[in-house]
Amino acid sequence: MARSTKLKILWLQSITCNGNTHSFFSHPNFMTLMQKFEVIYHPILDSKYSLDNVINKKLTCDILVLEGAFRETGMQKADREIYEIAKSYAKKAKHVITVGNCSTFGGVFRLYDPEYIGGFCFNDETPNEAYKLFKRKLISLPGCPAHPRWIGNLLSMILSQRQILLDNFHRPIEVYGYSAHAGCPRNEYFEWKVDSKNYGHKEGCLFYEYGCQAPYTHANCNKILWNEVSSKTRVGTPCFGCTEPYFPKKDLWHTNTLMGIPATMPMGVPRRAYLTITGIAKSFSIKRLNEPIIKYKK
Amino acid sequence: MKVKYLIEKIEGEAELEFDFKNGLVDNVNIYFPFYRGIEEILKNRDAMDALVITPRVCGICNHAHLIASVRAIENGLNKAGINIDLTQKAISLREFTLSCEIVQSHFKWFYLVALPQLLNLDRMKCPDNYILKASWASTNIVKALAIFSGQWPHASYAVPGGVSCDPTYEDIIQAESLVDEVIRFVENELIGMNIDEYHKRKEISNIKGDMAIMFGMLDKHNMKIKGKSYDRFAVFGEHPIFQTGQYNKKYSNDIDFSHIEEHPQHNSKAKSVTYKDMCYEVGPLARAIMTKNDFMLNLHDKYKDSVLTRVYARLDETIKLLVHIKSLLANLNVKELSCTLANMPKALEADGVGMVEAARGSLIHQSIIKDGKIQKYNIITPTQWNLSSGTQKEAGIAAQAIKGSVSIEEATFIFRTFDVCSVCTTH
Repeated sequence: MARSTKLKILWLQSITCNGNTHSFFSHPNFMTLMQKFEVIYHPILDSKYSLDNVINKKLTCDILVLEGAFRETGMQKADREIYEIAKSYAKKAKHVITVGNCSTFGGVFRLYDPEYIGGFCFNDETPNEAYKLFKRKLISLPGCPAHPRWIGNLLSMILSQRQILLDNFHRPIEVYGYSAHAGCPRNEYFEWKVDSKNYGHKEGCLFYEYGCQAPYTHANCNKILWNEVSSKTRVGTPCFGCTEPYFPKKDLWHTNTLMGIPATMPMGVPRRAYLTITGIAKSFSIKRLNEPIIKYKK
Repeated sequence: MKVKYLIEKIEGEAELEFDFKNGLVDNVNIYFPFYRGIEEILKNRDAMDALVITPRVCGICNHAHLIASVRAIENGLNKAGINIDLTQKAISLREFTLSCEIVQSHFKWFYLVALPQLLNLDRMKCPDNYILKASWASTNIVKALAIFSGQWPHASYAVPGGVSCDPTYEDIIQAESLVDEVIRFVENELIGMNIDEYHKRKEISNIKGDMAIMFGMLDKHNMKIKGKSYDRFAVFGEHPIFQTGQYNKKYSNDIDFSHIEEHPQHNSKAKSVTYKDMCYEVGPLARAIMTKNDFMLNLHDKYKDSVLTRVYARLDETIKLLVHIKSLLANLNVKELSCTLANMPKALEADGVGMVEAARGSLIHQSIIKDGKIQKYNIITPTQWNLSSGTQKEAGIAAQAIKGSVSIEEATFIFRTFDVCSVCTTH
């Protein structure tokens, strides 16, 4: 049998809901993309090796994809600690990709036992022991789940040896350099400080009352859209900040305020600048933005 | 002879411990090894946080968890005297998105689990074409879902009183065209005939396409008689195309939540669940039996709750749901309100139950809210019904169905016909 020269991918799961696996499976070019690689193991595809092989044999992979939160002991598969298995593959892999908030920062499942459960290289925003070992090859794709295009295009960029710039959490800047607010169709309401008054309307901004974290969340959701068609804020749901180390914060549907002003400022905006602009914007009432966009005939 | 087997690619893993006697499976214990503590994570959080946290139970049926959790809150509000009256628009949108998710899951089961596993039984390799079909069909149906929910997986667009979206007719047209594409896929690939012809056929053998390949292989492996359990079914979640109730030799349309009981299991992190002290099968077969469609009842008369009937029910349901969601979109009136509840009442005290039909069967959420915070949250998943080792009195539904299998391969195939989801079972 001819030896495959394709890059080998091993997709390993720890404490997870499989959300990233299913998100990625919704990539419109999933098969074409995956055929460019040799898949050593994948949680839902028929793959070359069994999980038992992955755990008990010493296989090799070029790209290790990790999904789910980790704990040093107490998360076993086939009687072996999955954290140890992940570390042993990470040592030899050329690239380690943590997909999803759980494998990157600990995510939802970290909340069950924050002392022992965390991401592979970060516990919330704090780098852990594994970070020291793997920081040179680590790429983080947080999100709950990660967008299919983030995963697919990163794999393709590795394959085609493109330059991948990373931020301080090792997130690709081409994806996470944007705020989730960029491209939101409710931007005009944000500019002129027109709040959403209740759920179920196209109009109004969700930043003031409904806990929307898009202005300070690093993600290009509203630029590339989910499932190619939409995003949370486009359907009137606030952004919950799922690409950030503090996800999921408490009171997800409520805006934390400081003296009536949102407590967290839009990315990079000084509080004084925000207050000045807000004061001016609020002194005007823009008629169009206080009316429905569409008035259907009865 | 006891044999342990790690079963994988079931939305996680499980350990099956087989007891073989005279070359046949005599008993099986099913262990789900890991607990993630979703219910405990929810404690002391704002009542609405459940709408974001509970979908994270499961990457493949997250939307069902969202709908169950919003129904639990609404049921609690109603019981607390705060009347929740959903508009038809909100009801239809929730039904649409939930049904799309079920269809997505069924496609994946058919092309990624059932066909490859049957081929495995014959030592044949799964063609890439099946993965391509699973990916194409599921991607397109969740795209239709995401038009209204914002994204899939892990949307939180269903809120107490309705939905957060406010679609236009143009959005609906886009969703319709995607559903049409998926129906065309079903006609061309899955059943090899148009849906009208499908509804008129008299025999399973009249079906063509990939379904014919499936039924050919099931026949060859004698699955008309294998995989029978207790022929006992339950449907708890309300859905306009399914009838709720139970079947145990005779039909009953009562649903009394107080008869549902969870039991811890030795060595497993998953609890088993019973209704009136008995195990019940939930899922597409239960829904088909309760809904009493003629073709299905005929099949059931002949083959009871065998693998063949169970598999047929899942595929037939896929088609019924696609037809149903087309009519939901056709009748959607965008002029109605999306959400009728302006704000959650402050310092809410509520105790509510939300039941929903998910891809694998009835999913139940119960939330007890004090002073606006979640005091207790309990989730009972469909796979707890189907995949427990059982009670002291009887083996679990799937465990019973596996008895008599001639090999581990055959037993695990039968196990997978329940559409196993490890993460849901333990949550």
